[in-house]
Amino acid sequence: MAQIVLKKMTQQDQFTSLYKSYSNGIKKLCLGYTGDAALAQDLLQETFIAVWNNMQGFRGEAKWSTWIYRVAVNTCLTQLRKKKETMVDIENSHFIMLPDDVNTREQEVQLLYKCISQLPETDRLVITMVLEETPYEEIASITGITENNLRVKIYRIKKQLTQIYNGYERL
Amino acid sequence: MKDFDSLKNIWQEPNPAEQTPTVISIGKTSKTVKMKLQKQQLGGAIVLVLTALLIAALAIFGGFNFTHWYTYGGMVLICIVCLAQAGLMYSLYKKISTINETSAPAAHLKQWEAYYDLRKKQNKWNMPLYYILLNIAMGIYLIEVLTGRPVLNVSIFIAVYVGWMLFTYFYLGKRNIKKEDERLNRIVGELKLIESQLKNPA
Repeated sequence: MAQIVLKKMTQQDQFTSLYKSYSNGIKKLCLGYTGDAALAQDLLQETFIAVWNNMQGFRGEAKWSTWIYRVAVNTCLTQLRKKKETMVDIENSHFIMLPDDVNTREQEVQLLYKCISQLPETDRLVITMVLEETPYEEIASITGITENNLRVKIYRIKKQLTQIYNGYERL
Repeated sequence: MKDFDSLKNIWQEPNPAEQTPTVISIGKTSKTVKMKLQKQQLGGAIVLVLTALLIAALAIFGGFNFTHWYTYGGMVLICIVCLAQAGLMYSLYKKISTINETSAPAAHLKQWEAYYDLRKKQNKWNMPLYYILLNIAMGIYLIEVLTGRPVLNVSIFIAVYVGWMLFTYFYLGKRNIKKEDERLNRIVGELKLIESQLKNPA
């Protein structure tokens, strides 16, 4: 029903509606991937430019959310080259608080971003979606990973992330 | 000690510092990496076509009145080299255009890998061939242009020209090829690494 309504809108209205619905989630995905607010903002912009350029080709074979998240995942993964050249040193970034300072909720969030950014590239994206409670079926559809492989992967990433986080907390 | 559910609670905690991103305006200045690469290739191709047209216009309307056909042949060869290079750049532009940002990540990475593999192959032969052909064409053109000039002037011109060309080819050119090759190898390596991450569950 929502998709029928969207089709009746102009491209601009449709884009604005999609942006309002998904930009926060995509921003968090990008933030989890890069661990850097400025880079995440760049990736968010790039994602939605790609969405704008491709939205007329959307055939409704997948949900809008799956389609947009897939564009975001592709943007993040292929941004690696640019990121490596410009990426700030996460260890010394002002964005990330030192573990000693972890005493507020916000600092815990920053530490979590830091821990996620230490995972391999695809794991960062997968776990960010898990943290956002995206259904496994949808994550599989977005990433193109089979559901069985995804379950094994998620189990391993959860364990790894928890270990990294607790490792910092012990310091 | 925190378990994963605790981490999820931290993640989902509303952050007062976080603001809802304002809607971006898609304008002429908004570009993705793909669009920038496309612009680079298309822009280069257009400049080369314009160069070829300018040289052709000079040959036809320039009133040079060269006496030897091969001098015009040199100019034609320069035009051909420029157009061939423009064609190559346009083919790269088309190759980038076919990359689909909405396809599954593994397929998307493969498309980029194919593009960078092509760039790697071209990097090995393209610049040397372009350089050699362009200099042959320039050499042919200069035969008549320099004929009859004072020997000292011609000698100085040839020494400076050849010296500069050898420097740019053997020093700057080789260094650039090596740098570009390393960059392309690194990118392809990174793409392969991410592909393998997607394939392997563990």
